[in-house]
Parts: sequence; C-alpha cells; structure tokens
Amino acid sequence: MILTNIETVPGKTIVEHYGIVQGSTVRAKHIGRDLMAGLKNLVGGELKGYTELLQDSREQALARLSEQARELGANAVVNIRFATSSVAQGAAELFVYGTAVTVVDEMGEQ
Amino acid sequence: MQSKIPFIARSTDDTVNVSRTHPLAELFWMLGGLVVLCGIIFIALGIITDLVVARVPVKVERALRGIALDQYGGERHPALNEIAGNLLAQVPRDSPLHDYEINVYLMENEEINAVALPGGNIVVFTGLVAQVESENELAMVLAHEMGHFSHRDHLRGLGRGLGLAVIVSLLFGPDSSASDLVSGSLLSFQAHYSQDQEADADRYGLDLLVRSYGHAGGSIDFFERLAAQHPDRLPYLFASHPHPDARIAALKERIDSYGYPSQETIPLDSALYDVR
Amino acid sequence: MGEFILQHSDFFIFIFFVALGYGAGSLMERNHYRSIRKREQALLSLPVTTTEHESFIGSEIGEATLVVGSVVVSIDYFKRLLAILRNIFGGAVTSYESLVDRARREAILRMKEAARQQGAALVINLRLETSAIGQQANRKRQVGSVEAIAYGTAIILPAAPGDDG
Repeated sequence: MILTNIETVPGKTIVEHYGIVQGSTVRAKHIGRDLMAGLKNLVGGELKGYTELLQDSREQALARLSEQARELGANAVVNIRFATSSVAQGAAELFVYGTAVTVVDEMGEQ
Repeated sequence: MQSKIPFIARSTDDTVNVSRTHPLAELFWMLGGLVVLCGIIFIALGIITDLVVARVPVKVERALRGIALDQYGGERHPALNEIAGNLLAQVPRDSPLHDYEINVYLMENEEINAVALPGGNIVVFTGLVAQVESENELAMVLAHEMGHFSHRDHLRGLGRGLGLAVIVSLLFGPDSSASDLVSGSLLSFQAHYSQDQEADADRYGLDLLVRSYGHAGGSIDFFERLAAQHPDRLPYLFASHPHPDARIAALKERIDSYGYPSQETIPLDSALYDVR
Repeated sequence: MGEFILQHSDFFIFIFFVALGYGAGSLMERNHYRSIRKREQALLSLPVTTTEHESFIGSEIGEATLVVGSVVVSIDYFKRLLAILRNIFGGAVTSYESLVDRARREAILRMKEAARQQGAALVINLRLETSAIGQQANRKRQVGSVEAIAYGTAIILPAAPGDDG
C-alpha cells in the first residue's frame, strides 16, 4: 500500500479512484503511565509513554485506513491527512483519512 | 491535459474502525481486573501498615488524633473520663499506654459499640451506655479499648481504612458518590479488628479491671446480657467482634485459671444514668 | 432489603443509569448504524476525494461551492464508565471508537446529502474535524459529546446545452 500526503503518487499514474477511506483509533495509557507523566511535568522533558502511545495510535489508524483501501481494491492512498480530537480525557484520539486510488507505472499500462 | 480519473463506487467493510469486542465482556473483564487490583493494593497496604505501625512513635500518632475524632464527633464526658482515669492509674509504669492522652467521648448513636481512635481517644456510643448496668461493666469496655491502644490495634484498622479511602479517591475522584459510599463504610472498617486482636484486648481488659477494682465482678455481665437479648440476630457489635458466647467462655476460663474473685458491682454514676 | 437499597440509593441510581445507558445506548447505536449504512449505499455513486488535483475533477465544471455537514453525538453513561475504566488499564478505548466513527460518517453523509441537493457530481478537498463539546468530557456531571464536521468543495457540472431552452 502506497501512502502519500500529496495529491498524486510521483512517478505513477492514477487510473481509478474509490472515494475516501478513514482510519481512527482511541487509545489510553494505564494509570501508572499517567502518574509518571504527571511527575515528569515537574521537570519537563520527553514523555516517553505518551510518545509511544501516539505512535501506536498512528500506526493503528494507518493500518485501518490501509485495510479499508485494500478492501476497495486500491493500491495507494493519496492526500492523507491526520487529525485529532479530544472526547476522552487522557486518551489519544487520532484519525487519518485520504483518497483510495489505483496507480500504475507512468509508462506501462498496468 | 489529462482525462478524468474514473470513479469506482464500491462499498467497504464499515467495521474496520470499531473493535469487535463486546462492551459487556469488556466491562466485566475490567471490573474484575479492578477488583483484583484493589484487593492487591488493599492487602499490600494492610501488610505495610502492620509493619510500620509498631515503629510509629506515639507522638506522631497524637498528631492524627484530631482528624480521626472529627469523623465521629461527640462530647468529652467527665464521668466516663473518671472511670478511665482510675483504670489508667493501675496500668504498669512501663506500659506504652502512658504515652497516650486518654480521652473518652460520648457520641449519640444507637449502635452498641465503642471505638479506639488514634492518639488515645475512645468514643463510646450512647447505645452502649444504655445497655450497661454497672460501673464495672463500663470499666470493662474502656479497659478493653485500652487493650487495643496497648497493642496498637487501632492504627492497623486506621491504616487499612485510609488505604481504602486512597484507592477509592484515586479511582473515582475525591467527591464522587462511590467515595461517599466507601467513606460511609470506613467508620465500620476502622473499628474492625481481627478476632485474635479482640480476644487479646479482652484479656488485657479483664486483667486491668481486676487490678483496678480488686475483683472480676461485672466483667462478663455485659456480654451475657447482650447474648441473651440477641440469641440469633447479631447486632452491629458482633459483626466486628467474636460471638459473645465465645468471649464469655474465654473470659470465664481466664477468671478460673487466675482465681480472680468476684464481688458486688458498683452502680452506674447518675450522670451516665441520664444518658439512658 | 428495601431498607438497604434506600440507604445506598446513590449506588443503585448509579447502577440504574449504567443499565439504562447500556440498553438505550446500544439500541440507538444500532439504529444509527442501520440508517448510516442505508444512506451510504444511496450516496455511494457520489465521489468524494481529499485531493484537489485537476485529474480528479475533469474539465467540465459548471460551478463550485462549499458544502458542510456536521453532527454532535453524545456519549452514554455506560460508555463513559467503560472509558474511565479503560483509562486505568490502558489500551484501546473501544467504547469511544464507535462513537467517533458514527459521528464522522454521519457528518460526511450530511455533507454528501447537501452536495447532492445542489446537484453536485463530485466533492473535492474534503476535510474532517472532530472536537469535544464540554471539555474533559468524561468527568462527572459534564456533557460528554463529540462533534464532527466535514467540509469540501462540491463540483457541479455545467447544465447540458439542451436544458437551457
């Protein structure tokens, strides 16, 4: 699955498109991590637990997006956008959406 | 320049963004986990308090006295304090009990109970005074509570109660209905000792009573009366204490083996009669 | 027994709300999903893309106009309880996943419906936003809800020459 956040896939031609696909996830860290993050707030620095959380969320959201695109028969998703929301307190909510397309090599005919 | 990209209309599996776990299964797993987690924290706190408590100086404990007493309230009662003072005079010089400042409070409550609070405060419920017939019986109750102080049982109860309060306010926040519910039952938790601790306090109380009054009269009357009144349905006192019959048997055995004499009991002070 | 319930009334009220939240909440969710699926099928032929590339639009453009769809969906009591528990253990907050999913799809659907009403052939440059109304939404005594908004540019094809006369 080719994922880009520009409107095309460079070096390839889009031959079909299937509309939008989305992936979303809401994830929380356990309370111990939250407490540690609270302590870390006193001295500053990277919150490793939360970095990890966001990374996992992003990966899962992208995996869901790719899965949806695959079901549509697409082989690429272009113009991907990430967004966040904050419904749940202390949880990371990520969603990602893009346009599912089929691409072929610029020269060849699939 | 370029022809329009054709659109293929296809529908997808739309459940990709929603996990397939059943919400009720999730609830039960998590509630179960929570119970286990709380149980572990509670037991761990209990063990830690047991270890720490014996090393806490009485001075530190006295700093806590106000906090614990605020939960109960009640008024300092002169007649009760006099009985307690007489008992205290008979306690051996080297006893840790002398580090405490023993104060007895009377609280309006129908429960037949008395509690030992940190720092040396004893709270006697009016429900208990209403059941007592003589000064000796009341002295036995106070001596029993002093036994808890001497063995420092009261701190163990408090430590566990505090542990529970901490868990609940961590989980649900300090002003949720769940923490109200628990702090309500905290009162009974604080007064809840093991049966061994109660039996030890009974023995201590009996010895102190005999040292103070010269005889064991009145030591078991109170329990006998309660046992007769409530042959099967056990009131509050017995929920946290051993069965009165067991207590009576244990006390009788000690009276026999030590050869404690039994004499006439002293009638209750008029100030305490008014409480009834 | 009755006395016990009265004494701990707030506990039983809590249980009641959780049960109500679960019952009514899952019923509403099922109905909402049914309606979403039906309308999605109906609007399947209207393409929506996140790009603005001319190759998606083609050369025939009559008019272009902004179309917006938005919705606010509320959390139920049961979902909130699950989310609070989930915050203790960590992991996927599954109870909110369906909520956010529903809100976003509903917003896109409303946007597409608006586009179709205007006779659009295509919606380009779709953007999605989600926000929470009432901060710290899963705190007690606060409205927990999710707002989703979808917006894009609807491309309306030029009227066929024959239609003018």
